Amino acid sequence: MKKYDTPLIDELEKGPWPSFVTEMKKSAKKNEMANDAVGHLEKCFKTKVGYWKHGGIVGVLGYGGGVIGRYSELGDEFPGVAHFHTVRINQPSGFFYTSAALREICDIWDKYGSGLTNVHGSTGDLVLLGTKTEALEAIFAEYSSRGWDLGGSGSALRTPSCCVGPGRCEWTNYDTLDLSYALTQEFQDEIHRPTFAYKFKIKMSGCACDCVASIARADMSIIGTWKGNIEVNQDEVKNYAKNGMDINAEIVGMCPTQCMSYDGKELRINNAECSRCMHCITRMTKALRPTGERGATICIGSKAPIVVGSLLSWVIVPFIKVEPPYTEVKDLVRKIWEWWDENAKPRERIGEVIEMKGMRSFLEGIGQAPIPQQIKEPRKDPFMFYTEDDMAAFKAKEAEEKKTGKYKF
Amino acid sequence: MEMSELQDKIFAFCEAAKGKKKLKEKDIINGINAESGLDKDEIKKALREMINVGRLMYSYGGGASSVEIPSEEYLREKGLIK
Repeated sequence: MKKYDTPLIDELEKGPWPSFVTEMKKSAKKNEMANDAVGHLEKCFKTKVGYWKHGGIVGVLGYGGGVIGRYSELGDEFPGVAHFHTVRINQPSGFFYTSAALREICDIWDKYGSGLTNVHGSTGDLVLLGTKTEALEAIFAEYSSRGWDLGGSGSALRTPSCCVGPGRCEWTNYDTLDLSYALTQEFQDEIHRPTFAYKFKIKMSGCACDCVASIARADMSIIGTWKGNIEVNQDEVKNYAKNGMDINAEIVGMCPTQCMSYDGKELRINNAECSRCMHCITRMTKALRPTGERGATICIGSKAPIVVGSLLSWVIVPFIKVEPPYTEVKDLVRKIWEWWDENAKPRERIGEVIEMKGMRSFLEGIGQAPIPQQIKEPRKDPFMFYTEDDMAAFKAKEAEEKKTGKYKF
Repeated sequence: MEMSELQDKIFAFCEAAKGKKKLKEKDIINGINAESGLDKDEIKKALREMINVGRLMYSYGGGASSVEIPSEEYLREKGLIK
């Protein structure tokens, strides 16, 4: 096996942190593809050029996603990375694996690929890095025979992903694991057969802590919330104060809606003004607790910058019950796709289409009534808009008033 | 219309677009629907069967996916021709 001199990437091994270079070098000792990937990376650093190309026609028969073609322009110099395709494996909900499952994945991967993995990629999938075109069908056959499936890629529904939810967290407001699994099963076709204008991501968080960062990374963010008040245990509040917490600075002063007050004895919350951001609850876990009906807020539209700049998701449904069989959520997803499909040009994410067509058109399309919680920011323009239906209703009212002489207000 | 006849129609539609336009599934379904008035679900079913057996294939470029006629190289790689 060729030994590469790697002074530049060796710098990335220094310091007390884990290093991907160290891990790549470990794989390089027993795998030619990983070895060439190390040499290739050093060359990229040295010349300040990324030699990777991606896309094209790679995949498994019948599937339109799950494999991302990667090729190096330096195939002659580094034959191990001439073809270096990425395979996405649909991760289990909440990223829970047994060690036996991880061994199974790695054993198959060692057999057909570079042995390098990315657990997990930003999509949420378990990503296998580097294999050749001719190995793809065999990889798929081995994984699928053991119950694994490929994830989404291209203009498709990307593999739904969620936080650990009720598996490990007491704050979750709905079963993120079950919803993620249910949506993955329901929309198999949309994951494996790309039919959209561009990608569509659904991420689920059990509360506003948003451990999967769905608000910034998902076209559709399903974030747990509750309807009741925050229950306050004043004895525990006193304990926090006694143990040195500056409640006014750390809790009251950090409340985004300023709905809390603390007089040195009691913590009071004006629940009507609370936005359920979870800040106070996560800081005073023993003293504060959500109560009442649980469900989720659905936000839409976040994305990284490509066609227009990056966007954060904003609220379209302030509260929705999230219970099996999740019919309401599934129906909403379908309506959203329908509107998007009708209005999007290729490579336009839903957030961009809403920016261009307007929230009004979107809400009409998905059959949601406009409500105050959907307001993203105070309006900047003074114009009012009426639809043809509004005008017809107004004219009919006017005609009736004229006819009867009675005015309706 | 017989399934095989519909599939031939879809194939001809894709062949006509080859090198001119990257077709999405929706473009094909809408195109055939406009030409023949056939039910969209029926067209979709026929199209997907063609993809399943390698008569058509999914491709990817510039961030978006499309459907096209597979090359000989692809068919050979999948063991569909020798």
